[in-house]
Amino acid sequence: MWKTVLRRFLIMIPQLIILSMLVFLLAKMMPGDPFTGMINPNSDAREIARLRQAYGLNDPWWVQYCRWVGNMFHGDLGQSYIQHVPVASLIWDRAVNTFWLSLLTVLLTYSIAIPMGISAGRHQDEWQDQAIQIFNYITFAVPGFVFYILGIWLFSFTLGWFPISGSVSANASGFWGVLGSRLYHMILPAILYALITTTTIVQYLRTGIVDNKVEDYVRTARSKGVPENVVFHKHILRNSVLPIVAFLGNTITGLLSGSMIIESVFSYPGMGKLFLDSISQRDYTTLTALILLFGMLTLLGNLISDILLSIVDPRIRVK
Amino acid sequence: MSNKKKSTQTKQDQTQVSLPPSGFKVAVREIWRDKIALTAFIVICLILLLTFGGSLFLKKSQVTEINIAEAYYGWGQAGHIFGTDDGGRDIFKLLIMGGRNSILIGLSVTAIDETLGLLIGLIAGYFGGTVDAVIMRIVDFVQILPQFPIIIVLTTVIPNYNAFVLVGLMSMFYWTTTARLFRSFVLSQRGRDYVLASKTSGSSDWKIMFREVLPNITSMLIIDVVLTVAGNIGIETSLSFLGYGLPITTPSLGTLISFANDPANVVARPWLWVPATVLLLLISMNINYVGRALQRAGDARQREN
Amino acid sequence: MAKEILQIKDLRVLFPIRSGFWNRITDYVRAVDGVNFSINEGETYGLIGESGSGKSTTGKAIVGVQKATSGQIIYDGLDVTKAHNRKKISYNKDVQMIFQDSMSSLNPRKRIEDIIAEPIRNFEDLTTDEERKRVQELLDIVGMPSDSIYKFPHEFSGGQRQRIGVARAVATNPKLIVADEPTSALDLSVQAQVLNFMKHIQQQYNISYLFISHDLGVVKHMSENIAIMHRGRLVEVGTRDEIYNHPMHIYTKRLLSAIPKVDVEHREENKRHREEVEAEFQHDQKRWYDEDGRVFPLQQLSPTHWVALPKQEVQAQMKEEK
Repeated sequence: MWKTVLRRFLIMIPQLIILSMLVFLLAKMMPGDPFTGMINPNSDAREIARLRQAYGLNDPWWVQYCRWVGNMFHGDLGQSYIQHVPVASLIWDRAVNTFWLSLLTVLLTYSIAIPMGISAGRHQDEWQDQAIQIFNYITFAVPGFVFYILGIWLFSFTLGWFPISGSVSANASGFWGVLGSRLYHMILPAILYALITTTTIVQYLRTGIVDNKVEDYVRTARSKGVPENVVFHKHILRNSVLPIVAFLGNTITGLLSGSMIIESVFSYPGMGKLFLDSISQRDYTTLTALILLFGMLTLLGNLISDILLSIVDPRIRVK
Repeated sequence: MSNKKKSTQTKQDQTQVSLPPSGFKVAVREIWRDKIALTAFIVICLILLLTFGGSLFLKKSQVTEINIAEAYYGWGQAGHIFGTDDGGRDIFKLLIMGGRNSILIGLSVTAIDETLGLLIGLIAGYFGGTVDAVIMRIVDFVQILPQFPIIIVLTTVIPNYNAFVLVGLMSMFYWTTTARLFRSFVLSQRGRDYVLASKTSGSSDWKIMFREVLPNITSMLIIDVVLTVAGNIGIETSLSFLGYGLPITTPSLGTLISFANDPANVVARPWLWVPATVLLLLISMNINYVGRALQRAGDARQREN
Repeated sequence: MAKEILQIKDLRVLFPIRSGFWNRITDYVRAVDGVNFSINEGETYGLIGESGSGKSTTGKAIVGVQKATSGQIIYDGLDVTKAHNRKKISYNKDVQMIFQDSMSSLNPRKRIEDIIAEPIRNFEDLTTDEERKRVQELLDIVGMPSDSIYKFPHEFSGGQRQRIGVARAVATNPKLIVADEPTSALDLSVQAQVLNFMKHIQQQYNISYLFISHDLGVVKHMSENIAIMHRGRLVEVGTRDEIYNHPMHIYTKRLLSAIPKVDVEHREENKRHREEVEAEFQHDQKRWYDEDGRVFPLQQLSPTHWVALPKQEVQAQMKEEK
């Protein structure tokens, strides 16, 4: 087991290196440099040139790259061009918001998807299955942002049940007050987001159960006289639900790329919104850091998926 | 002998109906049988007719011309069926052009991605070994990139940004899923006896790949193309919705829907975003329905074999 | 003595086993491990073995779809394990293959005409009309109706498909056809039909067959010379008479005793014999295989009879026989 994990980690190292190089390259393509954020109108050109030299911006690209990576390891992501604060602290505040939204979404996704998948698989081709298939088709076919727009239009604007923007209201006070306000702001985006994410899991679970139903080991269990309920719970369900666990990593990855759209529609101050704000303000240091962070989180999501999968499915492990 | 030939001739006429077990003709038959899928298909055709046909009568410069005096007409006011936007542009015309642009981009990206993905998947799967290992490492890497953010950054960084650049950027990333899909299928085919039989019949690797293996992929390819078109239209409209898809001067459904980003428009001026939303929903849902119908038919056929 | 058409010299096909942390090659599966035999012009050479014995791999190496790890296959004075030699003499025009699974060996998406015409198009230069005439002739030879050319493989039964496979194999007038269990996937009633077509074609065109099978009954019907393969090596080589009536190696005996006999009166006797052979095989592994469980090198007994046993064992056997 540890061998698989270790090997998977080793594979990640070159991926991480190439990723960081790509991001560095992307950063070089962007106009401006880390000093644009520090310069104020009164500093003269000679002073800037001196600073550039001192900070090594005239060095060959690979020296700059190594320094950039080194700084990264020390948690120094540079200064924001626009906000004039360290990028790290800027991202941190937003990352916390995205984290909570994602957590709630993941919880909702699994608690919606698993019962739906099981019900569809168990009652294959009956009305439950057909209803779930229709629902599943809709969440798959409708582009996410259209789904969110319709959701916010119906539940927030028309019915007025939920707030239309933000993460916490300004006049919330006390631990419970703030928590309640946060939840109140997150619940609609999280539900809508979770519904979109359920599609794959429901489909996967349903197919797994339908396929397992006719497997020989299930038939054997039945022919031995094992009660249908036990067959379903002990044999079919066990073998179908476990692979779903491995989807967790993919779900996290998917949430990240989708966070931009959901946070934009709901004006929710998370990392995705920060990314979009930074790009419209041309805040390139923040952007670079964010892309690297997105990339690393995607890598991590994949890593988690692969490791979970190797725990769940012993066939994948290295012997 | 001549007698025999004659009998062959007549028999030929009777047996012309023989259909291959999969492929384009079968796909058409599949849709014809499923009445809902047929309806969906007809709706798609109508939308294509409206957007592509309608665009023939429209000039981009006229449609996107700003005329503040005409701003914010409501439904049906002053001869504008769907009203006008903040710049006095006719929403109905924007809708037709935007619909065409979004579909066109979806189609172009799909064409590039499917060709690339098919070719790369075929090569990786057929040759296997080192070739496969190298290609799959690249595919793995592209798939772990934060694609959406990178596209957005590149749209702002690349000079002379236009629709073609957008197609290029989108194509750069999304071929990988297709490549993966076909690679795993070809991998399962290459050890099949019919491939070996072709080898012993003296056919070259390329000939086997394109004349032997490829025809066995057509059903999969058709399904994948249909679903990918829908997916790519979704991606383009999402990008345009965020403001980083098609340039502002080129209408897109996403740009129209993004009017809903302004709380003032959501309730007060629904004509700005509702028509585009409905059109996009119609496009997405109908294409996906056709794709799913084909998929179901394909699965059923596979189970029979 | 008839002219040799193909010689196989010390053929080896090894598949690497990868394992461990770095996924390095740690061992090999010895699918074919030093095999020698030769096939004469116009004969049917039987290659017999259980599944996994390496007989199919040998057949695939001969037609050139499986790379040989080492050893030579000599055809026309050239080593055809090398791809450029195969290309130089259009090797596959002369050496063709019939596959076991007729369904998977015919491309489901191609019409019969295109399937049979494929080798013709690659090796010969015929006009469309000539080509069609040729395909019709071939279908006629294997007893298929002429309207088959417009149909797809799934429209035929297993026996019909296998006959189409035979037609494709003979399309370029080959000199040798490797038949890899051509009838083992067919019903017994259809087996004889396909085998008879194969025999008929052999007489008509003077084709050699390498007939690969696990079924000694079928091979007896088809082959003059026979080789028995086990664990990637040959255990016994001989004429039909030598193999069936004077088997030396325990593995051959075991295979022979396993042929079901329709002989009610001696049922108990046959059963006892079968159990004796099985007991001998199980108990005296050391006598028949070396300490690693591998088959011994072949020893010559007569001009045509070879067996894979140590010398003293051969002598002991000879005595027993007398």
